[in-house]
Amino acid sequence: MLLDYSRLGWLRYALTGVAALVCAYLLAPIAVIVALSFGSSQWLKFPPPGWTLKWYRALLADPDWLTAFLTSLEIAVIVAVLSTGIGLMASFGLTRGSFRGREALRALFLTPMVLPVVIFAVALYGVFLRLHLNGTLVGFVLAHLVVALPFAIIAIGNALERFDVAIEDAAVLCGASRTQARLRVTLPAIRLGLFAAALFSFLASWDEVVVAIFMASPDLQTLPVKIFTSLRQDLSPVIAAVSSCLVVLTALLMGAAALLRRGRPT
Amino acid sequence: MRPGAAARRNAREFVGVAPALALVALVFVLPVAALLLRSVLEPQPGLQNYAEIFASATYLRVFENTFLVAALVTLVTLSLGFPVAWLMTIASPTWSGLLFAIVVLSMWTNLLTRTYAWMVLLQNTGVINRALLGLGLISQPLPLINNLTGVVIGMTYILLPFMILPLHAAMRDLDPAILRAAALCGATRGQAFRLIFLPLLASGIAAGALMVFVMALGYYITPALLGGAANMMLAELIAQLIQSLLNWGLGAAAAFALLVVTLALYAVQFRAFGFGAMREGR
Repeated sequence: MLLDYSRLGWLRYALTGVAALVCAYLLAPIAVIVALSFGSSQWLKFPPPGWTLKWYRALLADPDWLTAFLTSLEIAVIVAVLSTGIGLMASFGLTRGSFRGREALRALFLTPMVLPVVIFAVALYGVFLRLHLNGTLVGFVLAHLVVALPFAIIAIGNALERFDVAIEDAAVLCGASRTQARLRVTLPAIRLGLFAAALFSFLASWDEVVVAIFMASPDLQTLPVKIFTSLRQDLSPVIAAVSSCLVVLTALLMGAAALLRRGRPT
Repeated sequence: MRPGAAARRNAREFVGVAPALALVALVFVLPVAALLLRSVLEPQPGLQNYAEIFASATYLRVFENTFLVAALVTLVTLSLGFPVAWLMTIASPTWSGLLFAIVVLSMWTNLLTRTYAWMVLLQNTGVINRALLGLGLISQPLPLINNLTGVVIGMTYILLPFMILPLHAAMRDLDPAILRAAALCGATRGQAFRLIFLPLLASGIAAGALMVFVMALGYYITPALLGGAANMMLAELIAQLIQSLLNWGLGAAAAFALLVVTLALYAVQFRAFGFGAMREGR
């Protein structure tokens, strides 16, 4: 009865009411920001007294925002590619090998995802300062790779576990080398897992802000760092315009991921 | 398989793991270890950094505040998330899918975007205060930002999905027949809830609550932007000690304290529910 909607009685109204409020709580702030990005009020008056595109124009006119956007994009794309590659190799080892300490290794690879990121950020900051990697592309990519790798390993590991090894072995029996079999039989079969790994790795780097704050220099900063430093100064509507662009991007990626899920054979 | 073959196979698989291992060892384990070493080596070898942290009223207040915020956020996300997860489990596929999409959209939206939204909404001249003033409910703006209220509202917003999703997973795995059986045996709705529903969900609730609590403990950005000087949390203290004050020894000691608390909480969860519950929390 408690798990049957039609027999919940009055509880049904209570649940629906709370859920409606929570949905409003989750959606309203995002909606307000999108509305304010088109609002004419410098002081973010809501509802806006008039409508304008000037914040978007200001955004496009400021080369710093574009530079930060491109930096973020560059780092996130490199991280997505490397993380998927390294994650793929590691996942093969973790799912197919039988060497000792595999479980411990998997746990080690996932640790960066569950520890407070600020600890990793200051630790890396200390080492990178000495190696002069702060404010460099290499430094950013290395740092974000560590953050992204767990997502790749989970996505690819799940895909590999669902894939029947016997098919790969059959290819080997038919005369393919192990590498050929993996490249031409296994990889196509787990492509959705690879795609998910790349997508999540991209997002992990794209949205990452704590490590980036420590890695950034005045010459090289990602979009989240630029937003963070702007936020510390004022709440300019230009940030609402940037935020709205990011919301649209998120929705698009979510749509892509949903299509992916639909295409997955179950 | 011939005996040599298994060993060769393992060697080959291990080579595949090597790049990931090198990356995590050099860019993660080594820097964290180096940081922890600095907590006992700087400015001179000894435990004086830890002594300083645990003797200072200021730093102890940061600890206290960190645990207070994490506990409040866990409590609020649990009470808001439980009904939502419940409805998500029993609603028709369309409604359930819509709820799920809203939760995931919010989770995937850029963290700074969401924090910025609350800064705009909660400020003195913000939407909420203006609406309340307009309705005549208050005569001057409520202090909603740069204090505990702001931090709890903002962090609840961000961590709510991490409570809803594991709770939903736990409820989905529950067999409705058990509850039907309870009804057939004469249990009232309250009895079924108290004696069957809640106990069967205990591990899911614990997983979600611990996940949110641990994540809240280490949060940096949102409390830094929505809280005031009096509400500093541990992560912000660590960042400030190291980045602004360049006090590496003290900052490293605070980081070590956060690390120990986090690992201890994960150990409790691991002991009680195994590794699966921990991963479900993502």
